[in-house]
Amino acid sequence: MTQLIGRVVATERKPNTTHEFHFWTSLAAQIGIGSIVRVVAEAQTVYGVVVEGFSYTDLMSPLHDYIGADADPEAEAHAPSARPEIRLYSAAVLRREPEEPVQPVPMGAVHLADDSDVVVGLRMDSYVGVENETGIPLGLYTSGGLEARVYLDADFLLGPEAAHLNITGVSGLATKTSLVEFLLASVFEHMPENKGSVAAVCFNVKGSDLLFLDQPGELDESDLHMYGLLKVPAEPFDNVRYFAPYRADGWNLNTLRTHAELMSNVRPLRWGLKEVLQFSEVLLTRDDLDAKADALVDFIRDRVLDQRFGPDSGHAVMRNHLVRTFRDLEDWFDDVLACCEQSGSDRWMTHHTATVRKVRNRLNGIVSRAHGLVVNDDAVSDLPWGDFEDRAVYVVDVANVEPEAQDLVFARVVSKLREGLESGTLGVKHVIVFADELNKYAPSDGPETYVRKMLLDISERGRYLGLVLFGAQQFRSQVHRRVVGNCGSAIYGRMDMDELATPGYSVLSPATKTKLASLPKGDLMVRHPHFTQPVFIRFPKPAVMRGRDGIELFAPRQELPFEDAIAQGLKRLDDRVPLNEVKDLIAGRDRAEVLQAFHHTERGQPDDALAFFRSRLKKKIASEVVETPRRPVAVPEDPYAGD
Amino acid sequence: MRLVHTADLHLGYRAYHRTNAYGINIREADVARVFRELLEKTAKIAPDLLLIAGDIFHTVRPSNAAIADAFRQFSRFREKAPDTAVVIIAGNHDSPRAAETGNILRLFAEIPGFQVAHQEPKRLRFPALDTAVLCLPHNSLFAERQPAIEPDPDAGINILMAHGAHEDLKLISHFGAALLRSSDIKPAEWSYVALGHYHLYESLAPNMIYPGAIERTSMDVWSEAGRPKGFVELETEDGKMTFHELEGTRPVIDLKPIAGRDLPPRELNSLIESALEGVSGGIDEKIIRLRVFDVPRDVYRELDHRKIREYRNQALHFNLDARPPQVTRLSGSGAPGRRLTLREELTEFLKHRWKPDSRQVDREALIELGRRYLQEAEEAEALEDRE
Repeated sequence: MTQLIGRVVATERKPNTTHEFHFWTSLAAQIGIGSIVRVVAEAQTVYGVVVEGFSYTDLMSPLHDYIGADADPEAEAHAPSARPEIRLYSAAVLRREPEEPVQPVPMGAVHLADDSDVVVGLRMDSYVGVENETGIPLGLYTSGGLEARVYLDADFLLGPEAAHLNITGVSGLATKTSLVEFLLASVFEHMPENKGSVAAVCFNVKGSDLLFLDQPGELDESDLHMYGLLKVPAEPFDNVRYFAPYRADGWNLNTLRTHAELMSNVRPLRWGLKEVLQFSEVLLTRDDLDAKADALVDFIRDRVLDQRFGPDSGHAVMRNHLVRTFRDLEDWFDDVLACCEQSGSDRWMTHHTATVRKVRNRLNGIVSRAHGLVVNDDAVSDLPWGDFEDRAVYVVDVANVEPEAQDLVFARVVSKLREGLESGTLGVKHVIVFADELNKYAPSDGPETYVRKMLLDISERGRYLGLVLFGAQQFRSQVHRRVVGNCGSAIYGRMDMDELATPGYSVLSPATKTKLASLPKGDLMVRHPHFTQPVFIRFPKPAVMRGRDGIELFAPRQELPFEDAIAQGLKRLDDRVPLNEVKDLIAGRDRAEVLQAFHHTERGQPDDALAFFRSRLKKKIASEVVETPRRPVAVPEDPYAGD
Repeated sequence: MRLVHTADLHLGYRAYHRTNAYGINIREADVARVFRELLEKTAKIAPDLLLIAGDIFHTVRPSNAAIADAFRQFSRFREKAPDTAVVIIAGNHDSPRAAETGNILRLFAEIPGFQVAHQEPKRLRFPALDTAVLCLPHNSLFAERQPAIEPDPDAGINILMAHGAHEDLKLISHFGAALLRSSDIKPAEWSYVALGHYHLYESLAPNMIYPGAIERTSMDVWSEAGRPKGFVELETEDGKMTFHELEGTRPVIDLKPIAGRDLPPRELNSLIESALEGVSGGIDEKIIRLRVFDVPRDVYRELDHRKIREYRNQALHFNLDARPPQVTRLSGSGAPGRRLTLREELTEFLKHRWKPDSRQVDREALIELGRRYLQEAEEAEALEDRE
């Protein structure tokens, strides 16, 4: 039985409309902004969400009360009677039954919504509790003691009907990252079987929040209760892989997840020429890359990279090349410029030597500008393209990397995901990409960047491919309109009043804005294609360890000396590797040689890491002792007959 | 310790199709003769160590005569300089690509006191000399597992011997040799770096030397004209280095070019004659090139070719390199101006730019045929428009 809390009222000055109505309640009614109510009238039932509240008495003006109390605030306590007070609420219509005709909300009794009213009012009945249900639990709607589950429709969250999720809220109030962590767990648990496999790729661009997703977090009773209601296991993710580039030294990983106990699922991110050249424009500024330079970069990418290039294959250079690394590319440029010098021409093919020199300098500069990520050799280490696993989380930690390198990582990973999903070769059917700081990557103003173009492309085309963007930022109003506009669902945590004053929030009532500005941790407002009005819900703390706790419990190790880093790196690959033997093996060897062998071993993932590593080191040449023997020598005849 | 460093012998090298009385290619015999001179001079020096840094033979399968002569000369050297240790490495010319081909240089390891590294890197220790020689033959530098190029800490004198093209040479072609970088070699760590492959004497560092080939056997033999040929002697104690010139090499002369623009054939004939007469000692049995620039074909045809044939007979090789004038295009397809009609474009292309595979194609007839097709297409299009 639902709880009767009031009646609909309408006056000439405050009439009800087709989309809004007013009702009064008793003072004791458990209702507030965001509460869902059901109006039962003779011919129709209307569901609404409270968006504004008023309270007033029969007092004509404040002056009457002031004079009546003789200007003494204490006098109120001695007043013979209390003024009657009315609570009046305005509610926005969520749904009406029947849907047609669309008429103003009729007078009727107002009930506080129960579980089934929430399902119907939010139109979740089309995808929850039906055959092939596609509901993904997001949180609980709570009002008047009711705890009703609120679901997102997977077809509208992960495609193909709509897709993407945008989260906005001020930093530090456990909305953005926490919600994504919880929602990923929910998606992994409730993803409809017929939709196939799903993985997540999270970019950790700051702090350590995403670095302990495989470690259990602290949950209290209320959280566990919510997990139980939402039927999401209160456990950390069991399949998480971490990827981080090296520091500039080339042997210490540039991440805070370096505790020895956690290193088993941390892999380096190390890219060579081939991986980078396609995205070179990310690292080259627009001023650098005019049309002429662009044409040469395209030429290198299409005709030189990883192909036989030289006189044998009819090319206008002097030596044969097989360009696979930045070092090979440098040789190729040398050859091209030597050709020009020798022929006295200021052009090579159609490219001016000044352009050749400029592109050479800029491309070679990439290695130093993204040191640790972009390398000079071919021992690359990358995400497992083609072998993505279902329900796995891949965290790419670029928090401590230069901004340009962050852009490169973002651009390349997302492009490869798109390519893999387009061709069906990624290993999973859906990928959720979590990108924080959209204010930085897809701002509404500023120059056109490769990363922004890509985010626009994902948000516009991703839903057909299964590439879903979970984007987050502090100021939604300052993100490119098409990026947020294409997000089917939007989440709002606690907001800044200045942000709420921007035009994008004008559809919200002042009371809703006020509530948004003071939302407690764990509460949020959600918009979803099925919900005709924003709804406030609550979600539990994520079941994974908070970054701060993780750093305390698993303190990052100090930067290791070279020998230790290599020995421990090999031990990470193969537990049987004796540390001292590795140190003896590399003692006195050239660091570049050792590093290259180590990176090849990392890339190869051999069963016997030490043997593989040893085979990649340069061959030590043992001495052969030569004692000159005294033996007679027979001189043969002269074949040239004395000439 | 005294050492002699040579490289690029190119035994069995042949050129110019001229043979001597024994039917042997004259250039092959030249190389053999200079090789004898090299060993004789080295035997006189009687060094502790003779280093031969690759390309002993010109090909991986040299002639029997070249093999037999090399063996004979080395054996004689052994006889004359019994205390000299000889170390040979293979270069790109004497390293077969397929391992099963086998390497002819192994033969010389049969001579007492000769050490040969033809495939794998080797470090040879000579305790009596307190010297270690790290040998990097051509194939070892292309092996999947690269050798660690580092000196032997137990040896007083460390020598690196390698066959490859050093980056500082800035060669336009490596001719298949490995690229050697100073960052890999680290010359400062060695007592001496004995290199082979480059045919001219070149000192890349006080202790890093290319001695050059013993004869002029490069593909571009003219680049070696006038440059001395020889070998290097080094006294390791005081670092004294001497370049010994080989005198038995055949002269290669690249004469000063003649500017032939607007000169009639008669005048050119006389300039050629006086250029050749100016060669000291005459042109007999020499290798000579004379470039004449800007000679139109019709003028070249009118030159005194009987006389030129005589020069060719006199010299071992006479190359009259007559070059036609360079054509400077005043207009090109990308030049500004009126855009050609399709008909003009077709005619222009077929007349000037198209190169037929067969000489039997009648260019004019083809142009006519093309024009007719265009005409027919235009008429058909006009008819279609009217309909």
